[in-house]
Amino acid sequence: MELFGIFFSAFLINNILLIRFIALCSFFGVSTKINTAIGMGSAVIFVMTISSAVSWLIYNGILAPFHLEFLRTAVFILVIAALVQLEELYMKKMVPSMYRAMGIYLPLITTNCAILAVAFLAIDYKYNFLQSMVYSLGVSMGYTLAIILFAHLRDRMALAPIPKWFQGYPIAFITAALMSLAFLGFNGMFGL
Amino acid sequence: MSYIIFAIIILGILGFVFAALLGIAADYFKIDIDPRISAIVAILPGANCGACGQAGCQAFAEKLVKGEVSVSGCTVGGKEVAEKLAKLMGKNAEVVEKFIAAVHCGAGVKTRKIIANYSGIKTCLAASLINNGGHACSFGCLGYGDCYCSCPFDAIRMKEGLPKFDPKKCTACGKCVAACPKQIISLKPMDNPVVVACSSHDSGAVTRKNCPVGCIACKICEKEVPDAFKVVDNLARLDYTKNVDCTSAIEKCPTKCIVKY
Repeated sequence: MELFGIFFSAFLINNILLIRFIALCSFFGVSTKINTAIGMGSAVIFVMTISSAVSWLIYNGILAPFHLEFLRTAVFILVIAALVQLEELYMKKMVPSMYRAMGIYLPLITTNCAILAVAFLAIDYKYNFLQSMVYSLGVSMGYTLAIILFAHLRDRMALAPIPKWFQGYPIAFITAALMSLAFLGFNGMFGL
Repeated sequence: MSYIIFAIIILGILGFVFAALLGIAADYFKIDIDPRISAIVAILPGANCGACGQAGCQAFAEKLVKGEVSVSGCTVGGKEVAEKLAKLMGKNAEVVEKFIAAVHCGAGVKTRKIIANYSGIKTCLAASLINNGGHACSFGCLGYGDCYCSCPFDAIRMKEGLPKFDPKKCTACGKCVAACPKQIISLKPMDNPVVVACSSHDSGAVTRKNCPVGCIACKICEKEVPDAFKVVDNLARLDYTKNVDCTSAIEKCPTKCIVKY
């Protein structure tokens, strides 16, 4: 039940895109088409789960025993960048079909702030390993849900008669704000 | 002080470990890529238009190396690219016929008969869904330029509500053919520049009522050039496989719907 709470809270109530407003660049950048949004979302699920696992291990295995917590920003960036490279090399050789499906989004995620944020937050909340895994899975799936919903909305907006001054990013931001308000409605669900 | 030294040591070790790991992985997961692939991609036009039926120029190059597509598969690049690819692959280039897009409608803004005012979204696709945007002819060009918007090579100009194809720029990639909701654009061989500029399957009387330049299925072209023309389903069809002179048919057509372009 506690794990479900962590998952649900990360998935909807504290949705990383719509409530925390982290990783907005990719939220607006890759949501113009539904297919690219799905590609980005699946790549985020993949990378976020693995990178948060490794960064949790490194933090609690190396940094915490030596009282070097202040190094975590530098170390996490290092870990994530190296890990994404490693995953890319591995997938290119072993699962080329998956590599083609994710394509450009995999290296793009190296600099996605959501990945770093999840690694930090899991430690700030003092989660154990299992909890941090569930948390990162919830966050990444929340990211995917939000970006796919938003891509569908933008798909509709392409045909809607929008005033000239609102076309493009202005209307996208307004829509994102309205979506964020809608997501606030999940607040307090299951007493979370 | 010891903190700083510790930090430097730990970061250094981590950096070294990751570097070593990546180095080993790069070697372990190395993929032997055929050097011809990048050479082929460099020759190809790089438009990634998909006219060859592949997912893009990279996919075409990979298939070409495997021998699954022919060197003349790239219609966009035409003869020039086919020859270069043939040289690279050590094969003979088959002759590629150069194609160009042509529209099967001759009614510009002035000749088109309008039976209702259309004030909806200004695209052909939207207009075609709502009673053909008020046009009397249910087959003809709507003139909102969906083809113009779809052209990746800037080869289409809208002139009096009809697309005009620039033979120098048109690469016959087929994007406009797919974009046209009335399906009145097709690809024609460039060395026989004659086109039936009408798509109406209505009977002669109805077509005559709707449009002054429509094909009324009078079969005069069939009599003039019996080899090439055939009237099927109230519309003259030109067989492009038979390379014959169509001048007399162009002259005799009573509604002037057989045109040179």
